[in-house]
Amino acid sequence: MHRRLAWSWLAIVTVLVVLLATLLPKARLDSSVLSLLPASSLGKVPPQIENGFLQRLDRQMMWMVSPGNQPDPAAAQWWQTQLQQQPFLAGVQGPMDAKGQQEWGKFYFEHRNGLVDNQTRGRLQNGGEAQAQWVLSQLYSAFSGVSGKELTNDPLMLVRGSQLALQQTASQMRLMNGWLVARDKQGRYWYLLHGELKGSSFDMQQGRKAVEQLQALQQNLKQHFPQAEVMSRGTLFYSDYASQQAKHDVSTLGLATVIGVLLLVLAVFRSVRPLLLCATSVAIGALAGTAITLLCFGELHLMTLVMSMSIVGVSADYTLYYLTERMVHGGENSPIASLRKVLPALLLALATTAIAYLIMILAPFPGIRQLAVFAASGLIASCLTVVCWYPFAVRGLPIRAVPCSRLLTAWLEAWQNQKAVRFGVPLALLMVSLAGMASLKINDDIASFQALPQDLVREEQAITALTGQGMDQKWLVVYGDTAEQTLQRLEKLAPELAEAKKQKAIESYRLIPLASLEQQQADLQLLREAAPILQKRLAESGIPVTAPNLQQMAVTPDLWQKSVISSGWRLLWLSLPDGKSGALVPVNGVHNSELLANIAAKLPGVSWVDRKVMFNELFSHFRSLLTILLAAAVVAIAISYVLRLGVKRGLLSVVPSLLSLGCGLAALSFSGHTLNLFSLLALVLVLGIGINYTLFFSNPRGTPLTSLLAISVALLTTLFTLGMLVFSQTQAIASFGIVLSCGIFCAFLTAPLALPTQGKRE
Amino acid sequence: MNKIILMALLCISFMANAITLDDVQRSFASQPVVRAKFQQDRQISGMAQPLHSSGEVLIAKSKGLWWQQQHPFPMTLVLDDSHMVQVMGSQAPQIITADSNPQMFQFNHLLRALFQADRKVLDENFSSAFTDQGNGKWQLVLTPTTTPLDKLFSTITLEGDKYLNRIALNDLQGDFTEITFSDHRPNPRKLTHEEQQRFAF
Repeated sequence: MHRRLAWSWLAIVTVLVVLLATLLPKARLDSSVLSLLPASSLGKVPPQIENGFLQRLDRQMMWMVSPGNQPDPAAAQWWQTQLQQQPFLAGVQGPMDAKGQQEWGKFYFEHRNGLVDNQTRGRLQNGGEAQAQWVLSQLYSAFSGVSGKELTNDPLMLVRGSQLALQQTASQMRLMNGWLVARDKQGRYWYLLHGELKGSSFDMQQGRKAVEQLQALQQNLKQHFPQAEVMSRGTLFYSDYASQQAKHDVSTLGLATVIGVLLLVLAVFRSVRPLLLCATSVAIGALAGTAITLLCFGELHLMTLVMSMSIVGVSADYTLYYLTERMVHGGENSPIASLRKVLPALLLALATTAIAYLIMILAPFPGIRQLAVFAASGLIASCLTVVCWYPFAVRGLPIRAVPCSRLLTAWLEAWQNQKAVRFGVPLALLMVSLAGMASLKINDDIASFQALPQDLVREEQAITALTGQGMDQKWLVVYGDTAEQTLQRLEKLAPELAEAKKQKAIESYRLIPLASLEQQQADLQLLREAAPILQKRLAESGIPVTAPNLQQMAVTPDLWQKSVISSGWRLLWLSLPDGKSGALVPVNGVHNSELLANIAAKLPGVSWVDRKVMFNELFSHFRSLLTILLAAAVVAIAISYVLRLGVKRGLLSVVPSLLSLGCGLAALSFSGHTLNLFSLLALVLVLGIGINYTLFFSNPRGTPLTSLLAISVALLTTLFTLGMLVFSQTQAIASFGIVLSCGIFCAFLTAPLALPTQGKRE
Repeated sequence: MNKIILMALLCISFMANAITLDDVQRSFASQPVVRAKFQQDRQISGMAQPLHSSGEVLIAKSKGLWWQQQHPFPMTLVLDDSHMVQVMGSQAPQIITADSNPQMFQFNHLLRALFQADRKVLDENFSSAFTDQGNGKWQLVLTPTTTPLDKLFSTITLEGDKYLNRIALNDLQGDFTEITFSDHRPNPRKLTHEEQQRFAF
């Protein structure tokens, strides 16, 4: 009978494996945090454009090399040569050489009628009288450097106009020998270099190597130029720092975990098999969860995966409960009989937990829905593995009496007979919970989750101060079905931004200096109207000029991107093969994020992206949502208890769950942490684990001592695994560990509350 | 008594020495305000006749430079520590601030350095040759060493005595500009109220 059950489960597991194998290649593993947001709040930026920009920005690298207080490009030149030899870098750019400068001027001259800047456009309005005056003023100015040749070739001085306009939009840097150079307050000169990573900057191994190589180069530079200094900027450095930190966590905490769990299992069971069995049930749970979630949603978010895995990890409790039962009563009962004994508690725990997690399917977030389905199906599969397979897997496991039985018995006795314990412990925990929760602070600021390395932050700030280009990750994305549409939308946005700057809502912004063909046509019309006036005014001043060339000189985005003049701007423009295009407008010094959001909402094809605000909103959204879901889950659990056990015992059985949640939060508050999304996620786990402990105890067929041993082992296992996260160097993870450890410890302490009282049992 | 003799000796030895750039700088620095007329002739290669222009200039040590062309058409340029403003005819003033554009501002500093013979700024941008021409007259020939100046000018020549009398600019393209100053008025030594308004934006 049971044998058939085992074979059927094997068949189902095989089906799940096949399912996963077919689904996985087609599935999309989504790792963008933004896609966790509800679809409506994302804006309508085509995802390819958004991803294209983000990937590109993540690849950017920037260096500033200082030779000291005297300007000297040698150190920067050396640095550039070294960078160009690095296989992981592409497009390393330093100074613009003479040839580049010539090409630059040539392109501007040959396309001057299509590259009219805003200021010139303003002077050309109303017949171009103002442009004529401006040309005259340039001619008369001793320092303008207008030559006869320039006047003959470009009488409207369009090239001059657009260059002056560019210089004004340019950063706070000056040009020295072709290099962009800034000077800091201490008088040091800094030379700017750009480059791009060849691969994605999140490839951990490659990132580490690149950072090490760059550090070595920096040492090398110091030997060649003792006065020299380098500052670097790029996502690479942050991702490398994060992965180094994670690696440190994994290697130290991971080792402690493995040794701890191994010793524990050996000490209790005198065999490593329980460890393998735990791993197997969790693995099958993860397998089933992934397959079912992919089947339902067609995709899986990375964050869901990580989170769900830890929830499914809780299912190791099922294995431990059954194995403890076997170890203690293996002598008198057959494996199947032992299973019958624990089965009601297992199924109840499973059902209650599954209900608690399935409630989350109501959430309007795809990420949390996936989590609900994953957790529920994963837990069911884990439990079924224990039920169907493990009676056959436990043969020959050592059988022994409950270790530390005197201590455990005393603990149980105290709960059943001493009012001081039965009422005192929960009351004390209640006080602690209330006191802690009263002083709990909420913080959704993503920046506070991870302490960034000070030297990286300092360099970043210094570079921002020198170049005027921050890494705020605040920008407007303008997009359209065609390049022309995108450019026209940019032109609608430009006056709004100028107004916002005037109102001091923002400090600066960067618009690509490229006009739509429609605008270029309009400019040409202006030029044709202005040319005769100019000739007349110059003639009046005794300066005869030939008629200017008024042919169309169209500059398409394609032509622009291939030309030298787009150097330094290319990052801000993206055209997809299907013609869809996007432009990035970085905005610096944002004082009023809302105003920009309003501008974006008003204009078609414009979206305001403030990554930090967006993340903070996302985190606070999820946090409040999870709070509600958690409350709903607690209510659902309470109802299920009351229905089963009656009002009094039912409500009593919820107390451990409530206290464990409360104590988890109190621990967070007392340890000086603030409440954020990660602590809420820990509470979700605490709830599931608390249910297990309570239900293992309340099983009328179970022996309380065996149950206590089982949950003691389960507690220690969880503390050795997830609890180790307390020692993580990443603050968010550490706070997760604190909530989890204290929460489940409290659940463990109060679980005997679910025991039937002594009187009733007799 | 001894003091007076000492002073006299010092004076004599000072007079006997040739004028140096430092002397000129010191002498310019002792004039808080100088007003003058200017006359500019600009010869652009390929153009038959030179462009004449003239107007008023005001150099105030504490404020900056005010340059007003009156003929053949009005145009005003004001340079101070943080602004560069050009007003032309009826058009709205064009204002460039030091923060928004140091590149352009470099030029501003340079112009003021020329008028005030500021040795430090000049040395950063030019190699210079100073000659004492006798009778208190001097000449300073500047050759640009930094971009973009070296792309514009081959030499800039300053001439003067107690005041700056002439600036000659040799463009790289063969153009030539000569500015002569006359009617220097150092008094009143403070800016009048009206003059102060010229620097207010």
